[in-house]
Amino acid sequence: MKRRFVYITVILLCGTAISCSKSFLDIPVQGGVTTSSDPTLAQKLVTGVYHSLMQGDSWGNGDVHGFAFLSVTNIMSDDADKGSYSGDQESVVTPIDDFTLTSTNTFALSLWSGHYNSIGACNQALQALVTAAIDTGTKIELNAEVRFIRGYLYFNLVRMFGGVPLILRVPKDATDANTDPVFQTRATDSAVYNTIIEDLQFAVDHLPLRSAAQPGHATKGAAQGILAKVYMYQKKWKQCFDLTNEIIGSGQYQLLPDYSMIWRQASENSSESLFEIETGAFNNANLKVDNYTVCQGPRVGGAGGWDDLGWGFNDPSLSLISSYESGDVRKDATIIFIDHSGTHKGTILWDGNRIPSSDSIQNLYYNYKAYTSKTKETYEDPGDKDRPKNIRILRYADILLMNAEAALQPEVGQSAAAVADIAPLRSRAQLPPKNALTIDDVWQERHVELAMEHDRFWDIVRQGRAAAIMHAAGKSNFVAGKNELLPIPSSQILLSGNKLTQNPGY
Amino acid sequence: MKSFFLLVIIALLRFSANASGQPLVSLHLKNVEISQVISTLEKESGYHFLFNSRSEDIHKLVDIDVENADVTQVLNDIFTGTHLQYKILDSKLIVISSAENAPPATITGTVTNENNEPLSGVSVTIKGKSTGTTTDQNGNFSIVADENAILVISYVGYAPQEVSATADMKIRLAPSQKTMDQVVVVGYGTQRKRDITGSVATVAGAEMVKQPVLTATQAIQGKVAGVQIISSGAPGSQPQVRIRGTGTALGGTAVLYVVDGVLTDDITNINTADIVDMSILKDASAAAIYGSRGANGVMIITTKRGAVGTMKINYNGNIGVRKAADVVKMANTAEYDNYYQAATGKIPPASEYSTDWYGTILRNAFEQNHNISISGGTEKVLYYFSASYFTDQGIVVNNDYKRFTVRSNDEFRFSSAIQLGIQASFSTSNTQTGFNDINVDSNGNVGSAYNNAYRAAPLIPSKVNGKYGNTSAYQNVGNPLLDLSNNNTLVTQNRTQGTVYLNIKPVSWLTFRSDLGGDLGSTPARAYNYQFNADTTTFTVFGGNQYNTHSSLQQKNTDRFRWVWNNILTFTKTFGEHYVSLMVGTTAEKFKETWFSATRKDIPADPNLWYIGVGDANTSQNDGSGDEWARNSYLARLNYAFMDKYLLTGTFRRDGSSRFPEQNRWGNFPSLGVGWVITKEDFMNDQKIFNNLKLRGSWGQVGNDQISTDAYTTTVVQNLPYPFNGSSGSATNGSQINQIKDPNITWETTEEYDAALEFSILDSRLSGEVDYYNKKVKNALIYVKIPSTVGDQDGQVLTNAANIQNTGWEFALNWKDQAGKDLNYHVGVNATFNTNTVIGLNGGQPLPDAGIGASQGFITRTDNGHPVGSFYVLQMLGVFQSQAEVDTYISKSGTIIQPTAHAGDLKYQDTNGDGKIDDNDRVFAGAYQPKCYFGVNAGLNYKQWDFTFDIYGNLGNQVYNGKRAIRVAGTDNIESEMAYNRWTAQNGSQTQPAANTGNMLASTYFIESGSFIRINNLTVGYTFKSPGLEKYKIASLRVFATAQNLYTWKEFSGFTAELPGTPTYSGIELNAYPTTRTISGGIYLAF
Repeated sequence: MKRRFVYITVILLCGTAISCSKSFLDIPVQGGVTTSSDPTLAQKLVTGVYHSLMQGDSWGNGDVHGFAFLSVTNIMSDDADKGSYSGDQESVVTPIDDFTLTSTNTFALSLWSGHYNSIGACNQALQALVTAAIDTGTKIELNAEVRFIRGYLYFNLVRMFGGVPLILRVPKDATDANTDPVFQTRATDSAVYNTIIEDLQFAVDHLPLRSAAQPGHATKGAAQGILAKVYMYQKKWKQCFDLTNEIIGSGQYQLLPDYSMIWRQASENSSESLFEIETGAFNNANLKVDNYTVCQGPRVGGAGGWDDLGWGFNDPSLSLISSYESGDVRKDATIIFIDHSGTHKGTILWDGNRIPSSDSIQNLYYNYKAYTSKTKETYEDPGDKDRPKNIRILRYADILLMNAEAALQPEVGQSAAAVADIAPLRSRAQLPPKNALTIDDVWQERHVELAMEHDRFWDIVRQGRAAAIMHAAGKSNFVAGKNELLPIPSSQILLSGNKLTQNPGY
Repeated sequence: MKSFFLLVIIALLRFSANASGQPLVSLHLKNVEISQVISTLEKESGYHFLFNSRSEDIHKLVDIDVENADVTQVLNDIFTGTHLQYKILDSKLIVISSAENAPPATITGTVTNENNEPLSGVSVTIKGKSTGTTTDQNGNFSIVADENAILVISYVGYAPQEVSATADMKIRLAPSQKTMDQVVVVGYGTQRKRDITGSVATVAGAEMVKQPVLTATQAIQGKVAGVQIISSGAPGSQPQVRIRGTGTALGGTAVLYVVDGVLTDDITNINTADIVDMSILKDASAAAIYGSRGANGVMIITTKRGAVGTMKINYNGNIGVRKAADVVKMANTAEYDNYYQAATGKIPPASEYSTDWYGTILRNAFEQNHNISISGGTEKVLYYFSASYFTDQGIVVNNDYKRFTVRSNDEFRFSSAIQLGIQASFSTSNTQTGFNDINVDSNGNVGSAYNNAYRAAPLIPSKVNGKYGNTSAYQNVGNPLLDLSNNNTLVTQNRTQGTVYLNIKPVSWLTFRSDLGGDLGSTPARAYNYQFNADTTTFTVFGGNQYNTHSSLQQKNTDRFRWVWNNILTFTKTFGEHYVSLMVGTTAEKFKETWFSATRKDIPADPNLWYIGVGDANTSQNDGSGDEWARNSYLARLNYAFMDKYLLTGTFRRDGSSRFPEQNRWGNFPSLGVGWVITKEDFMNDQKIFNNLKLRGSWGQVGNDQISTDAYTTTVVQNLPYPFNGSSGSATNGSQINQIKDPNITWETTEEYDAALEFSILDSRLSGEVDYYNKKVKNALIYVKIPSTVGDQDGQVLTNAANIQNTGWEFALNWKDQAGKDLNYHVGVNATFNTNTVIGLNGGQPLPDAGIGASQGFITRTDNGHPVGSFYVLQMLGVFQSQAEVDTYISKSGTIIQPTAHAGDLKYQDTNGDGKIDDNDRVFAGAYQPKCYFGVNAGLNYKQWDFTFDIYGNLGNQVYNGKRAIRVAGTDNIESEMAYNRWTAQNGSQTQPAANTGNMLASTYFIESGSFIRINNLTVGYTFKSPGLEKYKIASLRVFATAQNLYTWKEFSGFTAELPGTPTYSGIELNAYPTTRTISGGIYLAF
């Protein structure tokens, strides 16, 4: 009898011991794809890199083209005022607008984080491509797409912050990231520019022409255009002129006949477009850069039972309005003018939508280029006021303007080319042609042609006119030698153990 | 069987008669056997005698010297001091019998406690014999015993009694003053309380079931030193338990529950009436047997079983009403208008309404709980079956909770050596809410409605003629009543939980137990959002932002299965003065979960159509995933006692967990405890003060592995779409690897020292315990911020990087006494003083948390030298009384520190002296963790009345008035008190600012004392006397009235200072479900 119990005991104990074999505890993560479980991972990571360009979490994990981006490009420049009502975002956007921002500014941090998130995605994709089982041609092309984007991101970073940490690989783990100085210390801006040029040159060499490329993907023309712009910032005019000439000569691009159409949905990926941040719909939801359109929509602010179109930020400034020549059709295509006549007739927009007059709208001017039509454009979620809008990063008019600016430089000296570049822009704007061009004429043309298109602040810094223009626009807090760059976020300096250095003046 | 009885009949020789007709006799005998006296009597009296000549007593030698005595007098005389009895039958026959040899009879009886409530499981044995039985569910027992046998009645926690067996006995046990005799469940076995060297507390089920609350956890609030229970008023929610402070900075603070051997973190499925008792393992040495799961303490729940005897049926139930315990008084329209004008300079629109928004969304709610159980058993089978139905209306409108449970606990006894049992329960519960949240919020938050009710302007009506007041058209928050009406969320939770066990006891000193537990859960849930527009169909006026263009339905199904298999071998033997008990065992555990969800839009409002298939297929969305993990352990425990004086307990557990990478998968968790029962020492023999005095000390290590299963594996984030062709094409899905993982992550380890003194004095009427503990959490799992350059999207990585210390004292005193025959009473007091400190954040990075919105930023910070989750805000210095004061509040360099301030604005401290007020000026301003928490429990019984009350409270902590802090617009309402006490040039307040439009900075202005004292429960009961009940076949009947959370004294101006949350985000009143008060009445009935 006793012996039988002993047997049962032994059997049961053995049973547990068997269940306790090593494999019992080897449980792979459920529902979480790992680097080894998806054979098409590398291609998907490349798409993920494009996806990262839509980051607009301005108060959170990262912003690349959202409200923070708008703030440090348009609002900070003389083109636009903060907008909305005075107390709105006064701790974040107001200091950007009036140059009182400090290193704790949330938007500066989210731009820093957002760009490095995207760069991290680029590095992860490049690492996965090394071992990906795909044909060499496709692999090189995917590499080129990613390096185009990485180059573009570093170009934005260097324009915002100056020399930044140059991260070109994936950290092995947190310890690696915390010990390798490359993650903690700033490279010089020339080192950053060299990397940008390397990346973009690789893209120029390996990307297909627009006509041979899938829509929305990086193309040779886009890489050439951004590279040309990089050369322009570096004042390498010859390279800039040659590259823009190559684009012009490629026959891939042309101006749209109607300026007001450029930023409409109907003109997405048009023949004028070299590179856009694509938006649309996915899974019955709007797929867009978060808050890009809603933060710029006209704001009612409680009057008259009208519904807000948005939050009312990034309003065209009086200085922008006054910089248009009379009769320039680009003015009305860039700015929504709120009816302020006192007759309460409202403002009818291109799609027939009538918005209230100034008694029911907080500001007088809004950005027409960010307007989306509820009735004439497509989107998925009608409950969502933040509708999709492709952001035109580089368009053919910019190529012509770069070409013209380079052409006028003494080392290029091709003023006739400049005249030829500007002529179609002025004709489209229904302005008389200019046959003798100064550099100021090109700058002026560039200002109004690309108004509210994010380049203005960097342009005037590059042109050496920032302090003068800012002070003239009433932004008296602008300090030359300081405010050309944003402050390095203080939390990041802290995380680096103070190895990251702050920009001068902050 | 041979005849034991030899009858001797002796002829009657001579008799005389007295007045009563009995013959009188005279006897003068010395040193003769009783049998000889009887022989003489027979001759003298004329009676015939019948007796057993083999009885010992009949041969006893006696002296007799009587003159003219009657027979009975003689017999009484000579039988004194013997077991002999006599009975006079007719025909002058006297039968003499010995009580020793009385024919055995079935003795029945009932055992009750001091409140006349039946006690089940009471041991009834015959003195001097090994036979015995136990009482059943109704306290009844039946035992075959000789008449006049002495029965020993004993029960854990009660003083044993010895009584002579008579017919139909009624035995009432009084609580023992000597708790040392108790047996305590300690995990994978039991231990005598006297042998325990760690910190273990036990609460009886009978004590918990009295309170009209959902879970047993809630019912022990204030009853056990060192255990802090933070409960929410939300129906169906499980309270938070913190044992000896907060030991981690992450969310994995859940206490481990063990229900009949099944490990779980949720006991909302367990009917409290089914619980025998709950053991709380407080220190690391006690909890170390649960190894990697023990760090937050362990609560072991044992459910009831049947007992041998006839079938017993019990019913107990209560019905009551709940309401919000405290409601914040908001401004009415007149007060609001006045404040609004002062704040904005504008005149608010005229209104005929003055809405009490809290009154609109809160209600008096109905609560009921009914339990019925059937139990009994034979020598071969014990059974216990119960069913319960519990409904609890939330005090927030459209919130309801219902739970139905059944349990069947059965044991099959093949022999005294083998038993097979099954303990199984099924529970199904429904949580109905108006919140748009398909996941049941464990903190019981009420979503936006509660905060919106705070901010909603009183001049807007809530609902008029079926149309909602349009608060949002008035540039205010959404209408909170509509918030709760436009969603219909129903979460069902089904759980089947049980254990099958096999006990084998081949020899008296060896037990083998194998139990296989399972916990199968499914949680179907659906959330429906009604379609409505911002128009005059829904609202009184057109406009605003509160609308839902498309109705939508989300359904989510979650299935979970967990099994655990324990195999435990226990040796227990006493060698002379040495008591040894050794337990060794293995356990294996596995968990698997899968879930999927689906959503469609445009589903009609008819609830019969709330199925995914009804919706617009073009709007389909779905999602799903799963989880799986396993644990495997080897464990051992040695108990050793020498002369019951020197005690030693050692435990060891080796744990493997799939949640950790292979190289860190196994961990060892040892513990050691020693005890010294001083009163057993010889030198204590002569003292009369201490009935018990015991010193004990322990050390142990436990772990915490409550992190997600993918914490160390680099995973790919999928489904990141990019629409390459803009609006004219479809999107392509991409992926990212955007989280850096720590491939070397491992458990956090808690190391704890505990020293305690236990004593009882004054005939054990006063007993008490003092504990000191020092608990250090090493390598606490924490999110460490990493530079953004790394490309980690949330900028943080989960790793082992903090050390947290809790030190404290626990005191418990209990007084139990009897005053006269009818009155007995007890009073217990316990208090815990805890200090929580972060002592080492690796990398030195403080952890900010609690970003509550508005202009508040992160309001808590976890940093070295401060408690976990300390409030970190600006220091308010007062209120600027004049513009001159603003202008003269200058920094060292002469700049005005608050240049935009006006008279009546709050004045903040420029902590870093840089001449401006910003986040760098924040200071640590206390924490939610109390410095002290305490409970008082008292009860008395007077005749058939019983009365108990509990007091609970905590002291020395802070709470943050988050609902006030996220007031962000001039249209937002204010508290009535603020409307009156605001700063004005006339009243010059230094504590309340002038009328303002909100959006204030996070500062000490919003911090208030979290101290409170509450009468937690007060119960009065009356037990009917049994004679009158018997004709209805009722064994016991008690009626009672009980009040839960009767009154709270608090300094906090909000609803409740009891605000659950995560370690780094708690004590903030923002969306907390208001605490409730319940008044209910009930009945206990046993058949």
